[in-house]
Formats: sequence, structure tokens, C-alpha cells
Amino acid sequence: MPEILVQYEAEIWSSIGETFVMVGVSILAAILIGHPVGTLLFLCKKGQVLENRIVFSTLNLLVNITRSFPFLLLVVFLIPFTRLIIGTAIGTAAATVPLSIIAIAHYSRLVEQSLLDVPRGVMEAAISMGASVKDIIFKFLYVEARSGLVLGLTTSIISFISYSTIMGVVGGGGIGDFAIRYGYQQFKTELMIYMIIIMVIFVQLIQFIGTTVSRMIDKR
Amino acid sequence: MIKLHNVGKSFSRFQAIKSVSLTIDKGEIYGIIGASGAGKSTLLRLMNLLELPDEGEVEVNGQKLTNLSSKELRQARKSIGMIFQHFNLVANKTVYENVAVPLKLANFPRNERKSRVVECLRFVGLENLIDKYPAQLSGGQKQRVAIARALANSPQVLLCDEPTSSLDPNTTAEILEVLENINKSLGVTVVIVSHEMEVIKSICNRVTVMAAGEIYETVSIEPKRTQVINNSPSYFVEQLIKDGEINNA
Repeated sequence: MPEILVQYEAEIWSSIGETFVMVGVSILAAILIGHPVGTLLFLCKKGQVLENRIVFSTLNLLVNITRSFPFLLLVVFLIPFTRLIIGTAIGTAAATVPLSIIAIAHYSRLVEQSLLDVPRGVMEAAISMGASVKDIIFKFLYVEARSGLVLGLTTSIISFISYSTIMGVVGGGGIGDFAIRYGYQQFKTELMIYMIIIMVIFVQLIQFIGTTVSRMIDKR
Repeated sequence: MIKLHNVGKSFSRFQAIKSVSLTIDKGEIYGIIGASGAGKSTLLRLMNLLELPDEGEVEVNGQKLTNLSSKELRQARKSIGMIFQHFNLVANKTVYENVAVPLKLANFPRNERKSRVVECLRFVGLENLIDKYPAQLSGGQKQRVAIARALANSPQVLLCDEPTSSLDPNTTAEILEVLENINKSLGVTVVIVSHEMEVIKSICNRVTVMAAGEIYETVSIEPKRTQVINNSPSYFVEQLIKDGEINNA
């Protein structure tokens, strides 16, 4: 291993850990909240089973607004909110708040898009056999859209990694922050390049897993 | 079995169905035919409220569907089977899982599900394809799976929306045979919408002709039975040159 990596090994490991925490919490938020929000966005659309203009327009606007923010500004803008729920606006835990918010907005849009790919006829078949909304969601929509959902989550996770790299501004740490502080600000270009290589490996790995799983579960 | 009373349906400003009334008796094979845009598919989709009528009443199996709560309507739909031109199977479910879905929806006893699925698949002649996915099947096989799925909960009525319109002539004849068999041996009332005269003539005993959202006429006919159509290449050539010369130069 190159000497410089050995020298900073402890810091590198702890920044990888911080990135994992930040991205992990984002993934959880995306799945636990973004997924239902995306489903609701789809179901409330015109012509769908829960058609509701007010709910659709509200969610649509919220998602759009959140995604319009340059992410750095969103982080700063959310500081009072972060302080309210975490107690502090500084540190890795605090960094997970804006990350989770962008994760929800990002993934919910991709969920909505995947569900739009489910053929209209399949929905009609479901309705014609007396399926309830819950049955339509779990026995038809998610089954038919599953490979798109996995690809969407893969794309989202990679974006979350990218978002997490700027969390240094609120002391969130992570590989990106390490690369900036040591690699860029202390002119250790070599170290910065190693950090970039680590990120590339992560992204490649995630994309590979996502594509493989999505292909495996796609029987269409 | 099915009664429509002054049913009307508009899509934005287009009046698809203009105050139609009709009665379909138990055990009939009833045809609805007409040109594109005549309203035949809409009329069929009104029979299980897949389209909600703007006015009028829909009664199926003694129940006024138009008066039911959404929960009661879901219940009623479980005894109205429906098949479609594009089959509308769940592509990520196997043949078995596709047929099992309506049973799950109807809380069919878990331990009898498997045998019921097999029974339905045997009825349409597909019990050997139970673990295949729809993408691995031919069009005719997919439609058979859709029929098995529609039959799973032993419906009183089977609504068929252009069931053979994306199939070749031979497969069409096979599917019509299955539909006829369902009517004869299970006593299911069958309603078929088609733009293909041959299809309607071969199995229906009463036919409504639709035009511009209205019933033009309803006629009783003698079904001329399904016949397997000659699919040999020499027959195709013979038919092609029959009415007019072919230039062999």
C-alpha cells in the first residue's frame, strides 16, 4: 500500500465510516418515506385509482422545490430545522437531515416514474378482478415495476454518495470532506486521487449490484 | 344476467355511449360488434364499471352495481371475469402466480389454492406451462392464462374485450373453442366485443350492432360453430390469388 495511505489509514477508515452513515441513513429515508411518497404521487395522478388533485399538486410542488435548491443552499437553509430535531447543526448526525430530505425528494420522483411504466392494462385487469388499492399496489404495481424500482434506487444511492461529499460544510465528514481537507487544501494531490479512486470503486460496485439484481428480477 | 338501463358515458366532450339499454340473459354468448369508435368496448367496460356511467343503471347477477359502495363493488367484480385484447397478465409473475392472484384477492382457502389453479389451467389446456413466465408464451397461450385467471373465482359472467384481435386465425379458433366450452360446460354467460365478423358469427347466439354510441340493431343468430381455419401456405396463396390475377412475371 502507498505510504501516504498507511500514514492516514485511521482517518481514511473513519471518513469511509462517516460516508456510510450518511448514505445509509439517506437510503433508509428514501425507502421508508420516499418510496411511499412516490407511490402516492403516482396513485393521485389524473386517471389513477386515488386521483386527487390537491394531494398530487402539493406533493409534486414539494418534491420540485426540494430538488430545485442547489444542495449546498438546502443544507444551509435547513440548519434551524436540523438543530430542532438533532439538537445541533454540526456533525455527521446533523448532516443526515438535509441528506435524508433530498433523498426522499430524489427517490420519490424515480418511484413515480417507474410506476408509470406499468402497463395501463395490468391496472385495469387488477381493478376488474376486484383488487383493493392495497392489493393493486402490492400484488400488481410493485411486482411489475420492481426492476425499475431497483434501478431507480441504484441511481439514487449514487447521487446520495455525491451529495454526501459536500457535507464537510457542516462538519459531516466523509470521504469527500477528507479529500478536500487533506488532498486539496493541504496540497496532497496524491491523497485526493486515492480518495477519488475509492469513490469510483464504490460507485462501480453499487451500479454493478443494482444492474445485476434488476436484471435477475425482470421476467418481462 | 346483465341489464343496462339508459346508460350513458362521455369522455370530456365526446359522447361514447348515448343512453343505451340492453338485457343479456343467463347462459348466452352475446356479441357486440361495430366499427372503431362505435362504443362497443366502452359498453362492455360499463358492465363491470371499469368505466363509470354518467347516467343510467348497470345490473349484473341481480345486483345494481351502480348503487354499490366501493367495497361491495370490489366484491361483485370477483364474480365477473374479464379478458382483454392484450391479455394484461402480470409479466413478473409465473403462469401459476397469475392465476393464483384472484384467489388470493377473494381469500380462497390457502390449502385449496394450488389445486384450483391447476384445475383452471387444465381447463384451458396449459397445466404443463405452470412455471413459465408470460414472456415465454405465445399469444394464444397468454390469452389462455388470462382466461384461466378470469375463471379462477368461478364467475357467473365472462366479459371479453376483443379477445382474439391480436391472434392469428388458427389461435383465434382455439380461443373461441375455449370460450364456447366455458359457456357450455360451466354455464358462464359470455359477452364478446369484437370488430371481427367471423368471430362474432362463429359463437354468438345474439349480437348487438353498435354505431355512434347507440344500438343500431340486435339480432339473434345461429352460431356457425368454431372451425379451425386452414393455415397451410398453399391455402394462403390460393386465397391471395382467388379474386383477381396475380402477376407472376
